[in-house]
Amino acid sequence: MADNNNLLVQVEDLKIHFFTNEGIVRAVDGVTFDIHSGETLCMVGESGCGKSVTARALLQIVHRPGKIVDGSIVLYRQKSHDQIEKVRISDLEPKGREIRSIRGKDISMIFQEPMTSLSPMYTVGNQIMETIMLHTKADKNQARARTLELLEFVGIPRPNRIIDEYPFRLSGGMRQRAMIAMALSCNPRLLIADEPTTALDVTTQAQIIDLIQGLQKDYDMGVLFITHDLGVVAEIADRVAVMYLGNVVEYSDVYTIFNDPQHPYTQSLLRSIPKVTATREKLEVIRGMVPSPFRRPSGCPFHPRCPKAMPVCSEIEPKTISLTENHQVHCLLFDEDAKKPVREMAS
Amino acid sequence: MTEQTPQSQLNSIATNGKPLLEVRNLKMYFPIVKGIFGKITGYVKAADDVSFYIQSGETLGLVGESGCGKTTVGRCIVRAYKPTDGSIVYQRADETTVDLAKVDSKELQTYRKDIRMIFQDPYSSLNPRMNVFEIISEVLRVNELCSPKEMEYMVAHIMEQCGLRPEYMRRYPHAFSGGERQRIGIARALVTSPRLVVCDEAVSGLDVSVRAQILNLMEDLRREMNLTYLFISHDLSVIRHICDRVAVMYVGKLVELADANALYTNPLHPYTESLMSAVPIPNPNLRDRKNRIRLEGEVADPSNPPSGCYFHPRCRYAKERCSTETPVLRDLGDHHFVACHFADELELTGVRMA
Repeated sequence: MADNNNLLVQVEDLKIHFFTNEGIVRAVDGVTFDIHSGETLCMVGESGCGKSVTARALLQIVHRPGKIVDGSIVLYRQKSHDQIEKVRISDLEPKGREIRSIRGKDISMIFQEPMTSLSPMYTVGNQIMETIMLHTKADKNQARARTLELLEFVGIPRPNRIIDEYPFRLSGGMRQRAMIAMALSCNPRLLIADEPTTALDVTTQAQIIDLIQGLQKDYDMGVLFITHDLGVVAEIADRVAVMYLGNVVEYSDVYTIFNDPQHPYTQSLLRSIPKVTATREKLEVIRGMVPSPFRRPSGCPFHPRCPKAMPVCSEIEPKTISLTENHQVHCLLFDEDAKKPVREMAS
Repeated sequence: MTEQTPQSQLNSIATNGKPLLEVRNLKMYFPIVKGIFGKITGYVKAADDVSFYIQSGETLGLVGESGCGKTTVGRCIVRAYKPTDGSIVYQRADETTVDLAKVDSKELQTYRKDIRMIFQDPYSSLNPRMNVFEIISEVLRVNELCSPKEMEYMVAHIMEQCGLRPEYMRRYPHAFSGGERQRIGIARALVTSPRLVVCDEAVSGLDVSVRAQILNLMEDLRREMNLTYLFISHDLSVIRHICDRVAVMYVGKLVELADANALYTNPLHPYTESLMSAVPIPNPNLRDRKNRIRLEGEVADPSNPPSGCYFHPRCRYAKERCSTETPVLRDLGDHHFVACHFADELELTGVRMA
């Protein structure tokens, strides 16, 4: 791993459960990862795998009835030039003063729907200035000047006019740019991007990805990028966490994930995407579908769909196994201890 | 510069193999209404002079960015909209032809069972108050295509073909997952044994693993039931996977139409080239491709399009002629149609094959 000096966020064994009337949903069930400044961690998985909930936990904005029940999220916050303060985000009150000073300042977030995440009641400029005035001592004029600067910076044409427009006047790509301007207004150390390009067209997507990557280089930001599009992952990630039903099933650098995946889910996922570079042939599919969160399979949650499932997979929950220093797999295939008793029984 | 209109060229192709459907100079303008007296102040040209044909048994892809009019074209073909102008010539099973753009709603009913549609959103396209049997059999009932006795058999049969268990016929849509709902949508479209199916973003709302299942299902059904698809999507990888030929639209106009391989590896229109270059490729070893094209600006406003070629303000090869003269769709050989003045001079790069 990279040296610990630029460690930004460390998440360890995070568990988030939703307490609903129909039962407890283990949306996130023991997730461990870390993010360093200047790097991009991509979280990839299908709907319901817990990737968005994990991201929201970093800001303590998990929807009710969801709750962080176990594990820790630690933010390494730069207090002064050479002093780093450790903040345990997982222990903070969701409505407390401290987390509110972190949101939008140290960690900020871009959401999937640029249509719904901007308020229709305020002008674009108003919404960006609000963040600036909340976190810095800037007055209205200074905030406005900074907002203009930001809008220009994210590539919005005629910022002088757009700053006083309401969001409905902007196109999807422009709204997403405005969201990014808002997220960057206080020079965050960590940017969480939750499917920021899913609702956009390919050419706009390419523009937004370029923009985020450029900003990351300029500010040495850490980026947590959540997506279900493996093409985007291959393009921008430094490291990748593949999630399935609340677990990180495989965690490594992007080249290892794409060139040498070890978890059966990662392998099947990569084979099931149609490729623009390949000619027409039958796609390999993962049988079945993502199970309902209320009917989470026993043992390894992937075992009913897994092409390499063993009898033991339905009984024991897998542990995270380190194959190399930077390649972790959450699978019983690599757990020699778990496999042993079955072999003995068989013989 | 060729003097031929797109129509005359398409006619020349049509003679050597009768297409199942031929769209000629299709125009669909939506009026912009202002004020309480409904004064028309302009038109959104959602589809402007679109011409193409679909051969029986092939899959034609229609790609473009949001607002380019691809859905409008699809809806005109199923006659959810009455086109402003142009013709949609459909070839009946007995090889006679009819212009769907002209027929009245009563006569249209006879073609409703032949041309069916699959929608994007499996959540909003199924009526939550009808059970699966009612949803799938509605078309049979309304058009009196079979007796009530046969109906149950037909629904069960198509459900099985679409990978659904017929026992679940009496359940309501909420009991099904996204992938299963899309299968219900497909079963509803195919229960009348249609000849042409318009798939409007049929797999866009689905998860990766489910999407692969649905794509394979559609391909299997195409072969089994001898279907012809018009596959509308913004996803170039999906289009590449399922289509024989591909048409690219930009702001209501067709800019390129060619065999899928030719279009992807050797695009002739600068817009197609930039689309190809923007597709993220799931291979990190290729990420440092230097020759990426980044389009500047936004898709033009279809109610107030630029002069000349609609793409010229964003085109990096644009010359003076592009801003004054509108290019027409012309054949550059091998049925590769392109609407660009300089298509035969430019050297454009496509997708490199893996």
